[in-house]
Amino acid sequence: MLGPSVAWYLSVSAFLFGVGALGVLLRRNPLIVLLSLEIMLNGANLALIAFSRHQGQGDGQIFALAVMAVAASEVVVGLGLIVAMNRKRITLDVDRLNTLRG
Amino acid sequence: MIVATVGNVLVWAVWVGAGFACLASAVAVVSFRNPFYSALALIGNLGSLAVLYLLLSSDFVAAAQVLVYAGAVMVMFLFVIAYVGPRMDTPWAGGPGWQSVAAVLAGAALLVEIIVVIGLKAGGRLAHSAAVGDAFGSPRDIGRLFLTDHLLAFEITSIVLLIAAIGGVILGAHSRQPADEVPSL
Amino acid sequence: MTVGAWICLLSPLAGALLITLAGTRISRRTAGYLSTGSVAVAFGGAITSFIGLLGKNGEERDHVSTAWTWLSGGSYRSGFEILVDPLSVMMMLIVSGVGFLIVAYSIGYMDGDKEERRYFAYMALFVFSMLLLVQGGNFLLLLAGWGMVGLSSYLLIGFWHERPSAIAGAKKAFVMNAIGDATMALAFFLIILYTGTLSFDHVFNIVQNGDSGISNSTPINLIALGLLGGAVAKSAQLPLQTWLPDAMEGPTPVSALIHAATMVTAGVYLIVRTHVIFEAAPKVEELAAGLGAGTLLLAGLIALVQTDIKRVIAYSTMSQIGYMFLGVGLGAYANGMFHLMTHAFFKALLFMAAGLVIHALHGEQDIRRMGGLRTLMPRTYLAFLVGGLALVGIFPFSGFFSKDSILAAAMDHGWYGYVLWVAGLAGAFLTGIYTARLFFLVFWGEPSAFVQEHFHKPKRDVVGISLAAPVAALAVLAAIAGWIQFAPLWHPIETWLQTVAEPLVSPAGWQEAVSSVLAVVLGAAGIGVAWLLYGARTRRVPRLAFAQRTLEHKFWFDELYDALFYRPSIRIARGLGRFVENPLIFGSGRELGQETRALGGLLGRAQTGLLRTYALAIASSVAVLALVFVVVR
Repeated sequence: MLGPSVAWYLSVSAFLFGVGALGVLLRRNPLIVLLSLEIMLNGANLALIAFSRHQGQGDGQIFALAVMAVAASEVVVGLGLIVAMNRKRITLDVDRLNTLRG
Repeated sequence: MIVATVGNVLVWAVWVGAGFACLASAVAVVSFRNPFYSALALIGNLGSLAVLYLLLSSDFVAAAQVLVYAGAVMVMFLFVIAYVGPRMDTPWAGGPGWQSVAAVLAGAALLVEIIVVIGLKAGGRLAHSAAVGDAFGSPRDIGRLFLTDHLLAFEITSIVLLIAAIGGVILGAHSRQPADEVPSL
Repeated sequence: MTVGAWICLLSPLAGALLITLAGTRISRRTAGYLSTGSVAVAFGGAITSFIGLLGKNGEERDHVSTAWTWLSGGSYRSGFEILVDPLSVMMMLIVSGVGFLIVAYSIGYMDGDKEERRYFAYMALFVFSMLLLVQGGNFLLLLAGWGMVGLSSYLLIGFWHERPSAIAGAKKAFVMNAIGDATMALAFFLIILYTGTLSFDHVFNIVQNGDSGISNSTPINLIALGLLGGAVAKSAQLPLQTWLPDAMEGPTPVSALIHAATMVTAGVYLIVRTHVIFEAAPKVEELAAGLGAGTLLLAGLIALVQTDIKRVIAYSTMSQIGYMFLGVGLGAYANGMFHLMTHAFFKALLFMAAGLVIHALHGEQDIRRMGGLRTLMPRTYLAFLVGGLALVGIFPFSGFFSKDSILAAAMDHGWYGYVLWVAGLAGAFLTGIYTARLFFLVFWGEPSAFVQEHFHKPKRDVVGISLAAPVAALAVLAAIAGWIQFAPLWHPIETWLQTVAEPLVSPAGWQEAVSSVLAVVLGAAGIGVAWLLYGARTRRVPRLAFAQRTLEHKFWFDELYDALFYRPSIRIARGLGRFVENPLIFGSGRELGQETRALGGLLGRAQTGLLRTYALAIASSVAVLALVFVVVR
């Protein structure tokens, strides 16, 4: 394979995953949280593709496509929730959304 | 390790560029105060990722990434952000609570672990990738796999998409009664 | 003939089950007929067995019939076996015969009671239990019957369960019987330990033909003591006699059947059945006789001051069973059993006649309010007269023959026997006094104010007939049954029981004569004293304050047991409740709940409801897990 070996791609993927995790944990706007979630998913996708290339099998790409589809569905639902919350005039701040406290 | 041919140098150059863009945009997504800018940064992230996929000979996935992710999903995001309005989040306000510190630590730990794992356990084996032909990553290859080996995943994915669509419709539908004034929680 | 015995045993059980299962679908009178019928069938079965045994001669009169193996563990085996031999057949006849008459009487006596069916089911159950007791072929079935008669007694004493006194009486009877059951069970354990079996034949064989050192050794003494404990409890002898008067809370037929004719005689039966063991432990046998003598004096004295008509008869029962214990304790088994038979007749007769009086006076039982019933209830008067004379032992009624033979047997036992003989004679004197006292107070004189107000004659319907006919039958039996055995001249009962229990004593003819004469003289003297005091009322009743109080308190036995056993138990129970149960058990349970709730509350604080907290939790967990994974692999 030309270019960097798979390990380099994997390190990029790891970095993406970490940054995304940080974003999920540290931001208060649920929209930003969803975006960070997307970054994490993409990091995972990159790892999948890299390994697929490394092994010469197409299964990893299938998996990555499935992840993409699921990510899309999850974004639909999440954004739907945010829209509904916005309509009910609920503050979009994850720190304030604690009705489910036990 | 690094074979200094023209092709190789070119690939390396592209890889560095795309990788840098990827990482920078990821950090940007997490850092911006305006969610609109974060969304735009994410589009950039997705694009650079598509380039990386191309470098990995995964043509179909790269195209799907651009079309579906950057094209459809991000557009949806932008729509909603525009609908919700400019809420400026103060990301680092209030000082680092114990949760923030713990979050940073957790994230860093994850990162380090992943790298260590990969480096330690699989470093040697990751050096040599298999040689692939032209058909690798092509739409024909993907289609064949979807419809033979991974048919179940294909069908289930379609059902998941259907459910998400229904969910989106229900969540977004206007309620018949006027929205009550629910105080912020 | 064993078929007859099986029918005899199972028929009352079938009756009880039928009444129970039929429930309210049958009328109350039908339940009575069913119960009576089942006992009548039992009597028929007993007759069959009797005739069957008559056909055989001496040595062949011992039949064991096993239904199935009931219990087996290791080398020990117990079958559901019944024993048909002269002793058990005699008891079967008495139990089912007298039982039949009494259950028939109950149809009239309990007429109108709301829970008649339950009563008749219990009566049939009792008859079954008693038959099981006497027919059992091994100690295990004997114990089963023993316990079940105790249960039936408890159920029947407490039949009118809305009365607290009835409940208390039932509990007292049951608890005291349980003490006897416990000692008997211990004795059985020892028997298994030393002989390895509980079947009568085997045990008696081993005891008789075993090593010669077994006589008077500690184990056999303990076994005999345990058996004696059970007999004493069941037959209301010293020191476990206090439950019998309280048992009079039950309906009168119950008192007649259970506490006069059958259950309380189970102790006597036990001693006769296991006489082999008692003969190997002569000290315990003498103890039994001594307890019998003591009880008969004690009961006779207490009966002098009782004012409840049934309690007088109850103490009389206690006293007469003392006679039986005296007899069998000295080895005069046949005499004891003969007295058991005649006593069953005349005591049941007395109770049933008393029941007629009580019924006629709408439930009044205090004899101080009665009087002058002679003219109002002439036939009852006659029956009571017959029963009373039989009890005192006046010739030619039945008690004369049986009681005097026991006294004569006492003369053949050395100096100890003579002591008991004197006690028996004194008892005869006391019997005369209290019986005649009762008789005169209830029947003689002018009808008291109470009687004039409340008396009503029973009508001549089914109730009336069922009340009258058994009493009449028993009166006849009490009058003539004694002639079965006139000791020096003819003694078929002794011959009958000889194969089972060879008597140890055989008094000479002159001893018999002396005893008889003295007993009759003393009995008549007692009647005379009572006539002076209560009949003709020529003398005032002597009042010795201390004696009166002691007798009225039944020699302070109840108070003694209360102080010895009841109060310490209550104190211990309260102490345990306060110091052990509340803090340790109850408190720990409650604290467990409280601690769990606190812990739950603590864990509940993790549910902040904030998304970030949960995400943080997931991220940190993943980090930790990955670390663990890396380190381990």
